Formats: sequence, structure tokens, C-alpha cells
Amino acid sequence: MKPLVFDDVTVRLGERVIWSHATFEIEPASITAVLGPNGAGKSTLLKVVLGLIEPSEGALRVLGAAPARGNPRVGYMAQSRHADSLTSITARDYVGLGFDGRRFGWGRRRDKRAVVERALALTGVTTYADQPLGTLSGGQRQRVALAHAAVFQPDLLLLDEPLAGLDLAAQAEIVDLINLIRDTTGAAVIVVAHDLNPLAPIVDCVLWIARRQVRCGKVDEVVNAAVLSELYGHPIEIFTTAHGRRVIVGLEEEFAHPHPHGHDHDDHVHEEPHSHLEEIYREETS
Amino acid sequence: MSFSELLSTSFVQNAFWAVTAVALAAGAVGYFVVLRRQAFAAHAIGHVGFAGAAGAVLLGLSPIVGLLVFCLGAGLLIGVGGANLDDRDAVVGVTLTAALGLGVLFISLYSGYANATYSILFGQILGVSLRDLAIVALLSLAVLVAVSLTYRPLLFASVDAQSAAARGLSTRAMSIVFMTLLAVTTVVAIQVVGVLLVFSLLVAPAAAAEVVTTRPRDALFVAVVVALFSAWAGLFLGVAFGGPVSFWITAIASTGYLVARIAAASRRRARRPA
Repeated sequence: MKPLVFDDVTVRLGERVIWSHATFEIEPASITAVLGPNGAGKSTLLKVVLGLIEPSEGALRVLGAAPARGNPRVGYMAQSRHADSLTSITARDYVGLGFDGRRFGWGRRRDKRAVVERALALTGVTTYADQPLGTLSGGQRQRVALAHAAVFQPDLLLLDEPLAGLDLAAQAEIVDLINLIRDTTGAAVIVVAHDLNPLAPIVDCVLWIARRQVRCGKVDEVVNAAVLSELYGHPIEIFTTAHGRRVIVGLEEEFAHPHPHGHDHDDHVHEEPHSHLEEIYREETS
Repeated sequence: MSFSELLSTSFVQNAFWAVTAVALAAGAVGYFVVLRRQAFAAHAIGHVGFAGAAGAVLLGLSPIVGLLVFCLGAGLLIGVGGANLDDRDAVVGVTLTAALGLGVLFISLYSGYANATYSILFGQILGVSLRDLAIVALLSLAVLVAVSLTYRPLLFASVDAQSAAARGLSTRAMSIVFMTLLAVTTVVAIQVVGVLLVFSLLVAPAAAAEVVTTRPRDALFVAVVVALFSAWAGLFLGVAFGGPVSFWITAIASTGYLVARIAAASRRRARRPA
């Protein structure tokens, strides 16, 4: 069974089409990078999989079923926000909330301790599990967030910008950890990112969203000059450095010229980087 | 009357049980106020209560009826309209000013003696009747039971709304639950410390607790203990030395927060290598 199948899915928020006609499949135990400009609808894609946003057309199957809110077999790591209330609670308590944070009532499940300890051990945060999150480094906090998301050893793990705000060394550590979680749990992992290079060593597939379209395939099937040029509607060049890093030239025009064709109202490309995310979040909570 | 005789009078006894009930509820709910960074909402609910009490007095009803109706109404309004962080400040601010405007109108229409207004603003702890005490105790117990039943989801939605929503928890529902608890607690606390000083029991003890603890259960416990201590010591000092009890409670709770901040800062300095 494929962990995730999209069949001609279109998503609208209000009147606005975020992206349309997305058709792709994700393989078990694979790692897929979701790339594209800010506001293209990358986080929206995760929220559709989580059942928080309903597609306006098409259908998707998540672990063989219709998407459902709160499915424990789907793990989710939200984009980290810096000024939040998380800072005063410990890593262990935060991971514990991933385990039973939605349960009302008295008493707790007996296996809580064992499940939380397993997640802390898997992500290597046991040594600082009793420190407040506010005292941890960015990389340590992302490890804790991964423990929180993977506490049930989900079959599908959705990560929203796990590398954002980290230095290169910390990025490499988190990439190794994502790979380790995949190898240990057999989860299919979908990672939203804004740079392919740090993830390149572990990524099997790429899902690229731009101009309201979604392309998915093996890395080289998507990240090549012909496909990206067609997707963006203007020439894109890709150079590979001696160390195998890809330099993609032409994407920056997305930001410099929001309306390259005059008539084409790409209202998604010139937004503030996060306004779109917040809008989706507001949509969800309303 | 000697001091010990004073302590055994029924109005001091009633006051003792009333501040105990208020401190228990305010300490517990206050923890979530601080965690959710919703001190402004707590402030607003108190002032909305003032309008409700003034309206009830105008209609010849018990102030607590007006307090309950207005505080719960405002709580619901803020809970629904301010579920999102982005809208919250504006929703709270507009609710606050609208209610205060009504309060001014009600007072201007009321031709009687303004004593009732004064006690709503500053508390009337030494005038708590047995009936008031019963209401305060019942509401406080209800708040404590509700907090214990919703503790985990409330904590989850408060610290990480996005993950909580992804796990199938409605952050809007939790926002409404929280505001309802806050509204009831405010009504209870107003009986003791008044509208203007509701903060002293709701925010200061919990803020002190958040500074000195790292685990939610500890913080909740410390917040309740600090609130209880402030309330008991405030009542004792008020009876022993005179001066409004609400002044003493406020002074002790605020000092508690100050001490917690200084203690936390010096602990951090000690830990840092010289």
C-alpha cells in the first residue's frame, strides 16, 4: 500500500486556487523534499494530508484511507515559531503532549513512559530531556520537535521546514536524524524545505510546487532545467558544483518580477514569506 | 475586642474560606493565563465584570448575576473571536472598551448610593455573607474539577496550537474552554479583591511559578501555593494592622513575583562559569 496517493487534487482557500491537478504517489520508507517559492502552498499540502484543509476537487488516500484529523499513524512537525510559550516546558513534557495531549480526563495510559522514552532515545535527546526548551539550541529543539512528531513511530511523517534557522552543522545533524528515523521506523517522510542541497544525500523524490502546479518524481526527473523552466515559465539553469551541490539560477526572478507576463496574476509569489502560512492556519482554526 | 477574638468572628471566618476558594481557582487558571500570554484578556474580563455588576445593581439584582452574565459573555466573545493570536488583542480591546462604556452608562443611570460600585472595584472581603461564600466555594470547586479534566488538552493547545490542531484537537474549542474558566474564576475573585485587583491573584502567583519551575504540574502547584499564601497572609495582615485586605494581597503577590525573578536571575548567574 502506498502511504500517500494524490489523484488530481485541487486546493482552494476561499476563491483562490493554491495549486491544482496534483497527481502523485509516495513510496513507503521514502524521503520526499517539498520545494518551491514562499507562499506556493507547501505547508498547505501538509495540511491537506493532515485533514485540516479539504481539497475542492480530486481525492487523496492517506495510508489507504481518506485523510482524517488526528490520525496517530501520521506524524507532523509544525514550523517552529520563536516567540512561543513552548520555552518554559521541558523536552520530556513536550514529547508527552505528543503522546496524550489530546486526551481529556484523569489518569494516564500506562505505556506513556515507555513510548516517550523510546522517542527521546531515537532522536538522541535523552541527556537534555529535563531541561526547559528555552535553554536548548536551535538544533536540539528541532530534535525534540522530531521526537514529538515521531512519538508513535508513524507510517507517514510530515515535517514543515525542519532545517529553517539552523547553521550548516546543525542542518547536517537533523538530516542524519531524519534518515535514521526513516530507517528505524520505515516511515515515509515528506520534508518541506527551501533548499534541496542539505537534504540531497537522503532524498529519494522531489515535489516541486510553483505557479499553482505540482511536479513530483525522482530528484533528477524534477530538478532539471527543462522541467523547472516549463514549471516556472521562464528559463531556469542548473549547475552542479564539484561537490555535487546544485545551483539553480532563475528562481530569484519569482521574487524580483511577481508578474512576469503582465496578465498572469501570480498573487502567491509576492506575499510576505509567512502571511500565507498564517492565513492557512487561520483558515484551519476557524 | 482582642486580636484572637477578631480572628474567630464569623466575618473573618467567612473571609478566610472565601480567599481560600478564590486562591485555589485563581492560582490554577492563572497558570494558563500566563502560559497563553493572555494577561490582557484576564484584565479585560475583570473590567467587563464591573459593567455587569453595575447593570445588575441598576436592575435591583444581585451583582454576582451581572458579573456572571457579562464575564461569561465576554469570555465567549474573546474565546471565539480571539482564538487566533493575530486577532486576539483587537478583540479583547474592543470588548473591554465596549463593556466599560456600558458600565459608565449604568452608573450614571443609577441614582442610589455608590457603595456597591466601590466594593465591586476594590473587593469586599470582610463583607462576605454565608450565601456569597457558598456561591464562591461552588464555583471555585467547579473550576478546579474542570481544570483537572481538561488539563492536558488545554496545556497542548496553549503551548503548541499548530501541533495540537494537527493531532485533531480543536484549538477554538480549547480557547472557549479557557475563556469560560477564566470568566468564572474572575467572577469568584472579584468577590474578594475587586475588579481592579483581580490580577493580583490571577497573574502574579502564576507568573512567579512559571519563572521558578520547568514542569507544568510543578508550575500549577506553585502558582496555587503562592496564591494561597498571598491570600491568607493578606487577610491576616489586614485584620492585624488594618488597611484594605486587597491591598495586602496585591502587595504580597507582587513581591512574590519580584522575588521569583531575582531568585531565577541569581541562579542563572551562579550557574554561568565566572
